[in-house]
Amino acid sequence: MSSDALAGVTHFLRRLGGAVTGSISRLGFASRFMLAIVWHSPQALRRFQLTIREVYFAGVLSLVIILMSGLFVGMVLSLQGYETLKRYGADEQLGILVALSLVRELGPVMAGLLFASRAGSAITAEIGLMKTTEQLAAMEMMAVDPLARVIAPRFWGGVISMPLLAALFSAFGIFGGYLVGVRLIGIDDGAFWGQMKAGVDVWPDVTNGIIKSLVFGVAVSLIAVFEGYDAKPTAEGVSTATTRTVVISSLVILALDFVMTVFMFRGGGQ
Amino acid sequence: MPAAFPAESHHALTDTCHLDPDAAAIELVDVSFAYDRRPVLRGITMTVPRGKIVAIMGGSGCGKTTILRLIGGQLKPNAGKVLAAGQSVPDLDADGLYALRRRFGMLFQFGALFTDMTVFENIAFPMREHTDLSEELIRDLVLMKLHAVGLRGAAQLMPAELSGGMARRVALARAIALDPMLVMYDEPFAGLDPISLGVVGQLIRKLNDALGTTSIVVTHDVYESLKIVDYLYFVSEGRIVAEGTPDKVRASTDRFVRQFVDGESDGPVPFHYPAPDYRKDLFADVQ
Repeated sequence: MSSDALAGVTHFLRRLGGAVTGSISRLGFASRFMLAIVWHSPQALRRFQLTIREVYFAGVLSLVIILMSGLFVGMVLSLQGYETLKRYGADEQLGILVALSLVRELGPVMAGLLFASRAGSAITAEIGLMKTTEQLAAMEMMAVDPLARVIAPRFWGGVISMPLLAALFSAFGIFGGYLVGVRLIGIDDGAFWGQMKAGVDVWPDVTNGIIKSLVFGVAVSLIAVFEGYDAKPTAEGVSTATTRTVVISSLVILALDFVMTVFMFRGGGQ
Repeated sequence: MPAAFPAESHHALTDTCHLDPDAAAIELVDVSFAYDRRPVLRGITMTVPRGKIVAIMGGSGCGKTTILRLIGGQLKPNAGKVLAAGQSVPDLDADGLYALRRRFGMLFQFGALFTDMTVFENIAFPMREHTDLSEELIRDLVLMKLHAVGLRGAAQLMPAELSGGMARRVALARAIALDPMLVMYDEPFAGLDPISLGVVGQLIRKLNDALGTTSIVVTHDVYESLKIVDYLYFVSEGRIVAEGTPDKVRASTDRFVRQFVDGESDGPVPFHYPAPDYRKDLFADVQ
């Protein structure tokens, strides 16, 4: 092997090794960051108004996109579901199809993806900009720990908001399904709600949906605050961090959804 | 890259009667610091006496701000001692460091005001975090601090509504919110118009004297600094290359001081970034 080729291989291996160790190091930092948030949480939660404020910014301000998306997803689900069920003469089962799809799967996942795009990116950008403009450093120099004052309230605000948003997404989705199925297509009102009531259980359907949305809330909130805190203090750094929040959160939501679905509904035939 | 100033070129421009180490608020003794393997400070020794305003001057990237970060405990030196009110800053644990920082105020280069809070809330922030004062008392104190910097009427404005000079004054009011023993100013004059520059300079002097505090001003604004400070240190390439009172600095014939004070583009601090021989570089293609 010529010296040039050897140098090329060495360079490639060095870069590969650097990327792997860099990723592991970052993962380690994120884990320690998570522990630090938990450690500072009692201090942050004692001043609960800070967390309530973040619930407003992450949750209340996401309501419009969540509710509108839920409504339209439910309407589309109803239309598509009706077309399929009609082939088997099971069109009166539309209510249960819409409700189970939303409560088990689409509600938590879609709300999670929208939450990551709307609130997660905003949290990352805000923390990143606070770092860039030295607001976090100023806080430290005032003997105020940013982890307790800025990071932990935003984390818990996201964790609290996410299940509520997912529940509202599902509720508006079902309402959208009702509008299309009953009001537009003309399925019997009683059959729509009756089938839904008979086929959707609090356990496992609703509870598992809530658990999923809670896990997504923890994941998205952690990624959002971590990326903001770890952002390079430049315009490009904040931009990259914001993008990473949306991309990583989306992938993590979908991966976690698969894993949790396997454990929650394995062989249940429900 | 060779140092522009070897250690032996450090000239004291005055006798030492102005600095009494026994009364020092801050002392740095032979402090060295490096980011990764890049040396930033090399054997810095300086004393900041209580009640005085000391300027640390030097070009961009010479390590001035790093000195403030070492004093504030945000960084730890690789060697040497950093003492604040007799306490070794690098040896403090988290609680000790936070207790020390409560006695510090810091004005950041662009103010670092909290953008989601009003001017009033920004100044009330350290009071609310560290004291049990009633809201009525906090209101009075905040208005007094704002009055001291001439911005009582701007209490309800948001930081985005302030000019650069106003933001710097609000940040100054916040820095003195808890009547600190030491106020550190990181480039307080950067980007200000001449009027704001004079106002901020005078405020630093007046507040320092009125509160009996100690001030460290990191800046490269020679003209404004000479008007308000008691003592100056000149830093270049991580070393103190000159020091003295404003009068001594004005009269100095030291080459570095002259270049800095007169704003000459070339001198001990070279105009050109280190590069290979110009002629060789130009004819590299031909060869």
